[in-house]
Amino acid sequence: MKVLKKIGYIIALALFLTLTLGPFIWTFILSVTPEYAMMEKTSGLFPDMVIYDNYRELLTEGTQRGALLITGIKNALKAVGAALLIGIPVAMMSAYALSRMEFKGRKLIKNLLLITMIIPVMATIIPLFRLFVARQWLDDIFWLSIVYVSSYLPMATWLISNYFSTIPKELEEAALIDGCGRMASFLRIIVPSSYPIILSAALIMFLNTWSQFQIPLILASSLETKPVAIVVSEFMTKDSVQYGLTAAAGIIAVVPPAATALIFRRFLISGMMRGSVKG
Amino acid sequence: MKNKILPYLLLAPMILIMGVLVFYPIIATFSYSLKKWKLTAPADIRFVGLKNYAVVLTSESFWYSFRNTVFILAIVVVLTTVLGFLVSVLLNVNVKGAGILLAIAILPWALPPYVNGILWKFVFSSGYGFMNKVLIGLGLISQPVEWLGSRWSLLLLVSLVVTWRSIPFMALVCLAGRQSIPEGLYEAARIDGGNTGTIFRTITLPLMLPFLGIGITSASVTAINVFDEIIALSGYSDLGKNILVESYLTTFSFLDFGKGSAVTYLVMFFAGILGVFYLRSLNKEVEY
Repeated sequence: MKVLKKIGYIIALALFLTLTLGPFIWTFILSVTPEYAMMEKTSGLFPDMVIYDNYRELLTEGTQRGALLITGIKNALKAVGAALLIGIPVAMMSAYALSRMEFKGRKLIKNLLLITMIIPVMATIIPLFRLFVARQWLDDIFWLSIVYVSSYLPMATWLISNYFSTIPKELEEAALIDGCGRMASFLRIIVPSSYPIILSAALIMFLNTWSQFQIPLILASSLETKPVAIVVSEFMTKDSVQYGLTAAAGIIAVVPPAATALIFRRFLISGMMRGSVKG
Repeated sequence: MKNKILPYLLLAPMILIMGVLVFYPIIATFSYSLKKWKLTAPADIRFVGLKNYAVVLTSESFWYSFRNTVFILAIVVVLTTVLGFLVSVLLNVNVKGAGILLAIAILPWALPPYVNGILWKFVFSSGYGFMNKVLIGLGLISQPVEWLGSRWSLLLLVSLVVTWRSIPFMALVCLAGRQSIPEGLYEAARIDGGNTGTIFRTITLPLMLPFLGIGITSASVTAINVFDEIIALSGYSDLGKNILVESYLTTFSFLDFGKGSAVTYLVMFFAGILGVFYLRSLNKEVEY
């Protein structure tokens, strides 16, 4: 019985790992396969010859495609920076008010915030597009990032305010008695003790910003502003598709978020669990 | 006095951002949906009442997308629930490297959905796809199968890719649920002579239901709002479009803002019903 259980576990684990990692491995294989070997029906799964030309081309800014992809990565990172710089402080301020203060309309604001978590992007994008046209905000990473922030704020505020309410009030009261102002006690007591959840929220914002496709497609699709996911999509739809090159671009696009997820797994996982569960 | 204004001051930036970029657009979209409004005829914008809804609800194209949406929703919810639960069981085993295993498990959730679609396209494409190469190599087929070429197999693949991305969240929610059950309950049940089956039915399942509720509603909202994967697997063709793609094409390809807004509001309506369940299950958790 015990042996059977163990064998079952190993088979399930192997299946799980294959299905989770398989697409990455296959895409990587394609990315190092010479173009001529790819379409041959007779060829095996692995290429006879491994080439890294695709990566070389994509990571050189001098080539046309390389310039495209590198700009896309930079654009995504710029949006990440802007979204974090605005999103995290705004979420922390709101979370502090919602978890630590009594005032009229607290419940209403909390509920309205939660409702927006389930609203699809398309429900807001048409008026936003008009607003962006009227204000000439199209193809501007800053305003694009503010739109991202509006879609992350409910999640981040929810996560952080739940965490704030677990910090004992006495800690803060002691600081207030010691002559700290409300702001000082917030900065000295609350912020340092809640860094894990702030990191979780920041990581989730980073991953979501990196992933954006539909919103920038509509609001920022110019060469100077489109993020990496859109650049990859264009490699896929260009007239003469080079599959190896697209595969390499796909791999490059997943390395930063995958590495982040692996390194910061503890914070990400606890953030995901808290966001959904402790609510 | 000062303390009365402070909370509102702290909330002001959030209220400003959400008001301008979320709440105003939601209301504006509704008002657009009641107007004849094509960018191709900018001089002819006028109020038409519910006409856009009537046109949408009687068009074959909308119901085609609607059926696709329902198909994706059904497959994604069922598979995500079952597989997510199974993965959570796998992750709950205490082995060496369990942390790394968890990290691998969340990868599909962490990556860009569009790129996920591309990765799977490489597995299922007809010429250089992994599936066809293996099946041909095994002698099971002689000609490559066009997995992405017909409506239902395309939709099935879209659903599988979305399921793949939804499993991690479901698995973590289940894991959290499983870990919230006190070990003592299981010990007591075992002492009372309960077997694995009855313990699962009387303890594990009922205590995990609220957690499953959160996971299922979240998977449903994801499944209704699929966009990136459909574009990645089939481009902007009509074959695999769901209501969201329909709404995108109506608005930004055919430049019909009125009709596009009406389609959007219909999607919102479906998502909203599920959202109520989502909020309920979240709030239930708050109580204890």
